[in-house]
Amino acid sequence: METISFIARKLCYSVPLMFGVTLISFVLMVYFGPDKTYDLLGKNPTKEEIAEVRHELGYDKPFITRYGDYLSEIVKFDFGHSDSTGERVISIFKKSVPVTVALAIPGFLFGNLIAIFLALLASYNRGKWQDKIIMIGSVVGMSISLLVVIIAFQVLFCSSYGLNMFPVQGWEVNSIWDYMKYVTVPTMSTVFVAVGYNTRFYRAVFVEEMTRDHVRTARAYGCPPLRLLFKSILKNSMIPIITRVIFTLPFIIIGGSILIESYFGIPGVGLVTFDAITSGDQPILKAVVVMTAIMYVVVLTLTDILYKTVDPRISLA
Amino acid sequence: MHFRAIMLTVLTVFIVEPKAFAKKVLKYSEDGAPSNFDPVQSATIYANKITTAVYHTLYEYKYLKVPYELKTNLAEAMPVVSKDGLTYTIKIRKGVKYKDDACFKNGKGREVVAQDFIYSIKRHFDPKNRSQGSWLWKGKILGIDKWKKSGAKYGKKVEGLQALDKYTIQIKLVKPYPQLIYTFAMGFSSVVPEESVKKYGRELSIKPVGSGPFYVASHTSKKTVLERNKNYVGKKFNAKEEGYDPKIHGASGIANLNGKTMPFVDRVEVNWVKELVARWNSFTKGNEIVWTMLQNQQISEVLETKHPVKLKKKFAAKYNFRVGREAGLVYNHFNMDNKKLGYHPNPKIAEKNKALRCAVRKAVNWRKRIDKFYLGIGDAYPGFIPPIVDGFDKTLPNDSVKLDIVGAKKLLKDAGWNAKNLPTIIYPGVSSVRTRQFFEDFRGNMSKIGYPKKKIKFKGYATFGDFNKDVKRRKTMLVPMGWGLDYPDAENTLGLFYGPNASPGSNASNYDNPQYDKLYAAASTMQPGLERTELYKKMNKIIIDDCVTVSSFSRTRVYLWHKNAIMWPQRDIINNIFKYSDIKK
Repeated sequence: METISFIARKLCYSVPLMFGVTLISFVLMVYFGPDKTYDLLGKNPTKEEIAEVRHELGYDKPFITRYGDYLSEIVKFDFGHSDSTGERVISIFKKSVPVTVALAIPGFLFGNLIAIFLALLASYNRGKWQDKIIMIGSVVGMSISLLVVIIAFQVLFCSSYGLNMFPVQGWEVNSIWDYMKYVTVPTMSTVFVAVGYNTRFYRAVFVEEMTRDHVRTARAYGCPPLRLLFKSILKNSMIPIITRVIFTLPFIIIGGSILIESYFGIPGVGLVTFDAITSGDQPILKAVVVMTAIMYVVVLTLTDILYKTVDPRISLA
Repeated sequence: MHFRAIMLTVLTVFIVEPKAFAKKVLKYSEDGAPSNFDPVQSATIYANKITTAVYHTLYEYKYLKVPYELKTNLAEAMPVVSKDGLTYTIKIRKGVKYKDDACFKNGKGREVVAQDFIYSIKRHFDPKNRSQGSWLWKGKILGIDKWKKSGAKYGKKVEGLQALDKYTIQIKLVKPYPQLIYTFAMGFSSVVPEESVKKYGRELSIKPVGSGPFYVASHTSKKTVLERNKNYVGKKFNAKEEGYDPKIHGASGIANLNGKTMPFVDRVEVNWVKELVARWNSFTKGNEIVWTMLQNQQISEVLETKHPVKLKKKFAAKYNFRVGREAGLVYNHFNMDNKKLGYHPNPKIAEKNKALRCAVRKAVNWRKRIDKFYLGIGDAYPGFIPPIVDGFDKTLPNDSVKLDIVGAKKLLKDAGWNAKNLPTIIYPGVSSVRTRQFFEDFRGNMSKIGYPKKKIKFKGYATFGDFNKDVKRRKTMLVPMGWGLDYPDAENTLGLFYGPNASPGSNASNYDNPQYDKLYAAASTMQPGLERTELYKKMNKIIIDDCVTVSSFSRTRVYLWHKNAIMWPQRDIINNIFKYSDIKK
C-alpha cells in the first residue's frame, strides 16, 4: 500500500516536471533549433513558397498556440509525422527502440557485471598488483575513444584485413544466431569502453564499504573472502550501484549510441535522435523529450522502490 | 519408373542445383541516406535511386550513352510537339500496371493511365505536399499557377495539363520550354496513383506504390530493400541502343545481358553507409556491398597511377572500375548584393569591388585544391558550363582558373586595396572538419596575395538548413556550394545567374545583369542548335568577365565494383540503374 501511494504521489509530482521540461525544451527548439524550412525547399524557391513551407510546418503560428498543440500531442501521445521522412513518429520509435534495446542490453549487462567483478577484486586487493593492473586497464579503456575502438574492432573482427568473423554492418535479425552475429562486435566495443568507467566507480564504492565497521568485524570473525565480498560488501553497496545502473537505462533506450549504430549500420533510435537534432525535425524531437522525461520519472520511482527493497530501513512515506 | 523419374527431377532441382532457385541479390550501397521517397520530395540522388526504381517516369536516359540521350519509359514514343513549341502530346504505353497493394480494389494493381500523370504533376502544386520539384514547371505549364492559387483542388482542371483519353497526355506551355522533356525523366515527375496517396497520406514517403521494376519491401535509416515487382513487364535489354561501346564497357560484361529481359536481379539491398571506414570494410569483405566510390584517403592504397587511373594488381584482380566526371560542378560564388565585394551605388567602388573579386579568383589554387579534396584527378575550367553539356568550350582561355599571385596583387594595388582597407571576408559553411579544411585552404590562398589572415573568418552553421537560410536571405558574403545538374542542358547551370532567380531563388550570387538576363531569356526558349550554343557561350563569357564566381570544377569519381556484379555505376543524372544491374550466380 505504501508503495502504491508512493507511485501515485510520484506521478502527481511528475506533472509539473513534465510541464517544465517540455516548456524549456520547446523554447530551445523554437528559438535556437535549426530551421527546417530551408531544408525542405526546392532549388529555386520564391518568398511565397518559403512562406508556404513555414505555414505547413506550423512555424507561422504564435508560440503559445504551438506549445498548446505540443501539450495536446503529449496527452494524445501522438506526435504526428516526421518533417524529414513523413513517417509517423510513433512508428519510427516502434521500429527503432527495440533495435537499440536489443543492441544495448548485452553491452550494458556485461559492462556492469565485469566492472563489478573487477572492482571487487581490485578493492579487496587494494594497493596490491591486482589493484594496480585493473586500474591501469580501466584508465586505458577510458582513455581510448569509442570511435577508435569501433574502427579497430571492426577492422580486427569484421574485415578482410583481420579475422573476418562477423558482418561489418547490418541488422537482419531473424534468429538467435543472427542476433549473436550482429551484436557481438558492437557489444565488445561498448564493453571495452564502459568497463573502465564502471570499474573505477564501483571500486571507489567498494573501497569505502570495506572501511566500515561491519566489514572489519566480519574479517575479524574469519569470514571467507567470497562471502565477505558478496554478502557484506556488494550487498551493502547496492544503493549507489542501483542508482548508476538504473539511471543509465533512459539513455540506453532513448539515446542509444549514435557511433555504434552509424558504424555498424544498425537502424536504432540513436541515429533517429541524432538526425532529428541536426536537421531540426521537431515532431521527433518533441517525442524524444517527452519519452526521456517519462523514462526518468519511471526510473526515479523505480530507484526509490529498489532502495527500499535492498535496504528496508528506507521509508517511501 | 515414373516415381523414380519424379524423385530424380526433384533431387536435381532442389539439391543438385539449388542455385537455380536462389534469388539474385544486388547488395548496393551509397554514401548518404535518403529521407523521403515521395516523388514530390525526392530531391536527393539517394532518394532518386529508389524513386526511379519504384515508379515510372515518362522518359529516361539511355543507360550507357554519353552525352546523355533520352528514350521512352512509360511513354510510348517521344512527344509530338506543336510547331510553336507550346503543345506537347504524349501517348503512354497500354497495359502497364501498378504493383499489387492494399490501396487498390481487391489489392490488385490497376493499369497506369494518363490521368495519373496529371494528378502526379498537380501534387507538386498542392502546398500541403511541400514539393521540392515544382520549380521545374512553375510559370511554364499553362494554368498551373492559377490552379494552385485557387486552392489546389484536384477536381478542378488545369488548362495546360490534360488527359485527352486514357492513354494520351497533353501539355500546354506558357512559352516554349525545350527542357520540359528532360523534366519528365526526373524522379519528381514519377507517376503516382491517387489511391496510394489517399491510403498512405504522408507515409507515401516510405510506402511508395509504383509501376516500376521494383517495390520497397522494407526501409530503415540504414537500409532499403527492393524486391522485383511481379506486375512489371520488363523490356529486353538492347546494349547497342543503350550506348554500349566495347572499348569503354567491354570489361563490365554488360554485353552478356543483351536480349535478356529487365530487371535481372530479384532483390536489391541498398545500404546507406555514410561512414567511410565501414563502407570500405564492407566493400572489401567480399560478401557484403558490391559497389563503392574511392575517397581521397584510399587513393594511395588502391591506385597504381592516377593519370591514367589504374588499379593496383590485387585490386584489379577483384574489382572493375570506372572513372566518371560528375554531371555537376563545385564553385564559390560572391554575393553581389554585399556592398563590400559586390554591387555598389558608387561606380568607383563597384569597380574597386570587381578588382577585389577578380584578385580573389586569381589567388585560388585549383590544382592544390583538387589534389587535396578531389582525388587529384581532373582540372578546373573557366565559366559555368560543365563539360558534359552543350556549350562547354574547350578553347576558352583558362585565366579565370589559373593561379596568378602576381596578377592578383597587381589588381589589388591598382584598385587601391591594401592590407588596411581590405574588407573582412566571412567564409560560411556547415560545421565539419571538411568545411574547415576548405576554409583553411581559402585563407591560405588569400594570405599569398597579402590578405591579412585575421580578415578571413569562418562562420559555421549547425545544419545545411541554417546555412541555406542565410544564403537565401543574402546574408553570406560567399556561397561555397555544389550544383548537380537536373538535366543535361547548360540552361540549368546558367540559370544560377539569371536576375529573376535571385535569392531566395537559385541565383545565390544575386547577379543582376540585364544583358545577361536578355540572353538567358532568349536561349531558354530555344531548341538545341548552334544559335543557342552561341548564346550559352556569350553568357558564360559575361560571368567570367564580371568575376561573379570562383569556378568551376566537375569532380571526377572512381567507382569500384565487384567482378561478379554486372553494372555501370552512375549517380548523377541517370539514377534508374538497378534494373540494368545483374549479379553472376
